[in-house]
Amino acid sequence: MNIFLYLERDTWVQRLDPRTKMIGLLILFALCLYFNHPLYMAGVSGGILAIAISARALPNLGRLRVILILLFVSSALMWPFFARGPTLLWSWGPFIVSRESLLYGIAMGLRLDSFVITGLILLSTTRNEELTNGLIRMGIPYPVAFAFSTSLRLIPTLAGAGATIIQAQISRGLDLESGNIFRRMGKFIPQAVPLFLYAIRYTNQLAIALESRGFSPGSKRTLYYEPRMRKLDYAVIVLLGAALAAGLYIRWGLGLGVILPGRL
Amino acid sequence: MVVVLGHGGAGKSTLCASMNGIVPHFFRGQYRGRVTVKGLEVARHKVPEISRIVGLVLQDFEPQLFSTNVELEMAFGPENLCLPRQEIESRIRHYLPFLGLENFRRREPASLSGGQKQRLAISSVLTMEPEVLVMDEPTTDLDPEGREEVQTIARRLREQGRTLLVVDCEPETGENADQVWLMREGQLVARGVPREILTDIPRLKSCGIKVPKLVELFSEMRWPGRPLTAREAIALIEERGLAKTRKFKLPDPSIARTGGASILKVEDLGYLYPAHRIEALREINLNIQEGEFVALIGQNGSGKTTLAKHFNALLKPTSGRVLLRGKPTTEYTHREISRLVGYVFQNPDHQIFCNTVYEEVAFGLKMLGEPPSSIEKQVSSALETVGLTGYEKKVPFALGKGERQRVAVASVLAIQPEVLVLDEPTTGLDDRHQRSLMEMLKNLHREGHTIIIITHSMETAAEYAGRAIVMKGGSILLDGPTRDVFAREDRLKEASLYPSSLVQVSNWLGTRGLTVRQLAEELRA
Repeated sequence: MNIFLYLERDTWVQRLDPRTKMIGLLILFALCLYFNHPLYMAGVSGGILAIAISARALPNLGRLRVILILLFVSSALMWPFFARGPTLLWSWGPFIVSRESLLYGIAMGLRLDSFVITGLILLSTTRNEELTNGLIRMGIPYPVAFAFSTSLRLIPTLAGAGATIIQAQISRGLDLESGNIFRRMGKFIPQAVPLFLYAIRYTNQLAIALESRGFSPGSKRTLYYEPRMRKLDYAVIVLLGAALAAGLYIRWGLGLGVILPGRL
Repeated sequence: MVVVLGHGGAGKSTLCASMNGIVPHFFRGQYRGRVTVKGLEVARHKVPEISRIVGLVLQDFEPQLFSTNVELEMAFGPENLCLPRQEIESRIRHYLPFLGLENFRRREPASLSGGQKQRLAISSVLTMEPEVLVMDEPTTDLDPEGREEVQTIARRLREQGRTLLVVDCEPETGENADQVWLMREGQLVARGVPREILTDIPRLKSCGIKVPKLVELFSEMRWPGRPLTAREAIALIEERGLAKTRKFKLPDPSIARTGGASILKVEDLGYLYPAHRIEALREINLNIQEGEFVALIGQNGSGKTTLAKHFNALLKPTSGRVLLRGKPTTEYTHREISRLVGYVFQNPDHQIFCNTVYEEVAFGLKMLGEPPSSIEKQVSSALETVGLTGYEKKVPFALGKGERQRVAVASVLAIQPEVLVLDEPTTGLDDRHQRSLMEMLKNLHREGHTIIIITHSMETAAEYAGRAIVMKGGSILLDGPTRDVFAREDRLKEASLYPSSLVQVSNWLGTRGLTVRQLAEELRA
């Protein structure tokens, strides 16, 4: 079972310093928050998608397509009922849908997907260790950075163990195919207890393995994948910074890109 | 090189852990006396300090591999030693080919095979260049080839002048050692050269260690000499004219075997793992009859488990079909199929979750909606079969590995399935527990159950299974009566397997016996 997101590719995004990628992530997140007009939002999303394509991260987007579609559709369907705009399109009792709120919903859908895709780009192009090293070089204490990357590492391990546990329980009669929601909740225990105990045992062994390999939290260590800022990194940061400034000017200088004023 | 042998719970792992200070720093308790390594008293220093001198490879290799590629895994130790990057780089370049991992430098550890993972766990300790290397049961999960690889590594490390302390359950590991130590109930009971320790039958037995089969045979036949390897034994037999070789006849393969009704039939089965798009099984054709005892053997990753998971529809065929009592497995519900085919997973901890052994064993029956009276009856009969009567109220988590394994078997057995599939039932058990578990399966087989075991222990397959199926790269390489399959050493080698030394001698003699007793009877006749 493979649920790791990292893709071994050699593109310019992969070669960036992890710090650049993390700063880039924050800038892109900020850009996503500027506009609530679907056209302008689509411009931002298109840019992010272009980065994803040039990082050759599309297979991962494909794997998460269901989530991406679900996020977009549910947001586009739900928001019109909560946001109110001036141009009435349709109403039924307390339910009112306006042209602006419909467009706002679409923009919000795009925004959520852009968040997810941006995060995916980072995880598809950056190794766990690179993230840790980047965080350390940004001044985060080693134990904190290490805890962060270990928890990322544990997800696929536990998912693999979980799959085996489910198979083991099915083999001795656990029936996951029928029953109402309460009965199904009860069937959660035979899966959760062994997984929980597995996690405890696993982390215990992990701690022993780490100490046996000379790891002690807080002390200095060499970074084998030493992050290094190159010209490309500075160029990317400058470029993204420029985009941030341009967005700022369009949004507040020219007052464009807003479909529903007063909403994020 | 010292090899430590002992029964389960003899204290071998605790001994290993006290070499680098995991005991008493991590596992606290009453600690008396002291361990010194190169004049350093271990208990007075922190584990990371001692790790510069003593490298410890743990038994379970999964939690030891936490990096995202092979190179980083090997760099982790040296990084902690604060070595400069160039030095780390050169050590990685040195140790990759040393353990045959040079083509896997950028690979994700989880994608490696069992043997490769084990070699990576060892090499990630070796890059720290410790003077003492302690390995806790490094070969339990490995196929014969993987075992051989680890043995070769041990020899090469010894040539480099490093000290090795290896713990194991199998006496074969001790053959090449300088010294063998025996442990029993937390005490070191004997120390000496392998030839002396491994041929002392009463003492080995008292420590719960398997007696090397050839030693047992020679003692049973009252032959002089106590050979440890097949080559030694053959030389002795030839030299002294202890027995005559005869002609072993392979039966004509064109004569179809007849037997009971077919219970599991596999037709042109192919399976593709959806996540990796790797073809795990290819054109498997198989017919298992009621009441057979089948061993599925093959290298790690040859597709044994993938095939077995088709027997109870845990996996669904990509192509072809699996017929259970003449009906495709895909047409059964999980409920129906669990009554016909029971599947015991390798690790009992993947399924144990109840507070008492009774509830654990009754779980399946409750799920299937059996009435309470019959649940009680079936649970107590299942517990009796596995020899755990009187354990009903005990907490399963607190039992030993061998007992937990039995609870897992009982919980599947309680449903009284006709076919019982067991994945590596003897792995991690010591001789006594292995034997009693296999005897229990033998009894179930006698009562009419069809038994299918997946195993990498050639000895277990030879001793208990009537039929052996050898898998290689997702296809069936050999299929037939166990005796005949094990006679074809050249074909087995294609699957990187070789029979145990006893069977090798039996092959050379041209006898049919696969166990010490069978062979002795045949030779006396």
